[in-house]
This record gives sequence, C-alpha cells and structure tokens, in this order.
Amino acid sequence: MTALGPAERAVLLAFADDEHLMGQRHTEWIGVAPFLEEDLAFASIGQDELGHAAMLYELVIADLSGETPRAEAVDALAFRREPADYRSCWLVEAACTEWASALVRHWLYDTAEALRWGELAGSSEEHLRAIAGRAMSEERYHLRHADALLDALAGDADAGARIAAALTEMLPLGVALFDEPLGSDGAVESVVGRPLAALAPEWRAAVDRRFGQREWATVEPVVQDGRTLRSAPFETVYADMREVIMLDPDATW
Amino acid sequence: MNVYEVFLKKQGKDEFRHVGSLEAANDELAIVLARENYVRRAEGELMWVVDRDHVLVGDEEFIAPNADKPHRHNDGSLVAERRRAGRAGSDESDESGAM
Repeated sequence: MTALGPAERAVLLAFADDEHLMGQRHTEWIGVAPFLEEDLAFASIGQDELGHAAMLYELVIADLSGETPRAEAVDALAFRREPADYRSCWLVEAACTEWASALVRHWLYDTAEALRWGELAGSSEEHLRAIAGRAMSEERYHLRHADALLDALAGDADAGARIAAALTEMLPLGVALFDEPLGSDGAVESVVGRPLAALAPEWRAAVDRRFGQREWATVEPVVQDGRTLRSAPFETVYADMREVIMLDPDATW
Repeated sequence: MNVYEVFLKKQGKDEFRHVGSLEAANDELAIVLARENYVRRAEGELMWVVDRDHVLVGDEEFIAPNADKPHRHNDGSLVAERRRAGRAGSDESDESGAM
C-alpha cells in the first residue's frame, strides 16, 4: 500500500500537525472558558480536532509500513519529533490567552479546515475519503458553534472591539496557514486535492462575509519558511503536550 | 442569559425525558451548547431544547388535592387476594377429590 508519495505525505502530515496543535490549544480552555456550558463545548471541539489528527497520523504511518499502526508509532509521530520536524502553522501554535483571540482563531481555523477536508472528501483514495467524511460531519457543528458565539456577541460594543482587535492580531497568522509545507510540491491533486494556496481565496471571501470587507494586500503573512520554523509560543505547548510521555520515555502504555 | 431545559429521546418507544438544563444567550446557542453538554456520548437520538419561560407551570396548590385519593391507585392487591382465595379453593377440591 504505497498510494501516497512523499509530497502527498507532506501535505497530510502538515494537516495532522495543524489538527494536533489546534486540539491541544483548545483543550487549554478546560475550566477557564467564559461560562460552564462553553467550557465543555470548546473542550469537546478540541477533542474532535485531536481525533482528526490521530486519523491522519495513522493513515500516514499505515501507508509507509503497510500495516495497521501501533499506538506507539502514532505517539512517536505526534509527540516525539524535534520541533523543527513539525509542520504546524503559526495560527495553531499561538497561545491565544484572551477569549476573543481563541474564538476568532477557532472560526478562522475551522473555516480553513472545512475547505481542506472538502478537498480530501473527493480523494481517489478510499481511506482518505472515509476519514474526510467523518471530519466534515464534525466541522459543520464546529462552524455552527463559532458562528453562534460570534452572532451573539455581534451586538455588543465591547465584544465587537475585542473581536476586531483579535482579528487584527490573528489574520497575519491566518493567511500563513495557506503556506505550502516543505516537500509538498507536486502533490497529486486527485489524491490530496488542490494545494493550500488555491483554497486561500475562498477562505478570504468567507472572512470578508463574516467580519466585513478588508484590504488583504495590507495583511502581511508571518514567515514560516515552508512551515519549518516554529513560533515562540510553540515551546510551551510542546512541553505541555509531552509532559506525561516524557516522564518515562520508555514506558509501554 | 436564558435558562433552557433539555429533553432527549432514545431510539424505540421511550418517551422524551428531561436530562437537565443550561444557560445560553439565545436559542441558537442553546441548541449548539446542549449538543455537547448533554448528547456528547450519543445519549439520545432526538433532542428538544425548551426556553424555561415557555414552560407552562401548574402550581402546587392546584395539584395538591389529588395527593389524597388512594382509591385511584390500583396496586392490584384486591385482585391478587381474590385469585389467591380461588386457588386455595381449587387445591382443597383436588385433595378431597378421589380418583
């Protein structure tokens, strides 16, 4: 089973890393979300994203080994790489300690994520189509959740100002989500869909519909260098997510 | 914030049952939040979310007089007693009846 080449694997691994880091960052709101019901809902969404990451990591490993991946192999990919080997974008690495930033990032990310799964839903690979179908059904809920919160806050002047500031802060990271990961050049479109750069216009149009028209030329994307550079906040999230597994790196789980 | 009451129905003949309540800013958020707060492990197949203000409440005094009507409770004890007596009678006839 070597349906994927290195370029297709690079595309899927970068997506998996985005999902992994996004899930990890969302779960940081457990216990401190603005109200109890949101606390549970947001953590659940984070859990869904971690599930998407696991499905993608498993698919990449199974493709390489030809076998059903063992949990250790998935953990190795998810937790035991060096920071420079991750291919996450900076949007999902950001700490977003203010709720407005976390909420705006949630909307920006899930809108992009739905576009990416939409591409994989048309894959020639049955495995990819199957996990894309599952993820898409969850993304409909994630986006409805993000839109419901933004709609509810829209009428409030203070909330509106906070959301506008969060958007200004997040957009340079958001546009950089569409940077192609290193090694993904020439990935076969019938397998992994169109390249990220081709999805960016649809995403920008959705942002304009949600938050109002803007001058995109003025939004300067952060420089991630083929997603090989990690942002400053990565260090703490990397330490947090490896805290338990590194207590005893040789333990069998 | 409004308070909403959440009801779930499982597959089959079970009725909708009240499972809890939640606070939400509006109806759409109530539905969205109820999903993850009450059905995250597929506890039901159908969900009703009702604004508590829309629930019609019968007051306690109005209902209270019906607490004292034991004759409306059929626990089956009278019927059970008659059937026991009937069985006892037929047992006796079995014993006395020589074949």
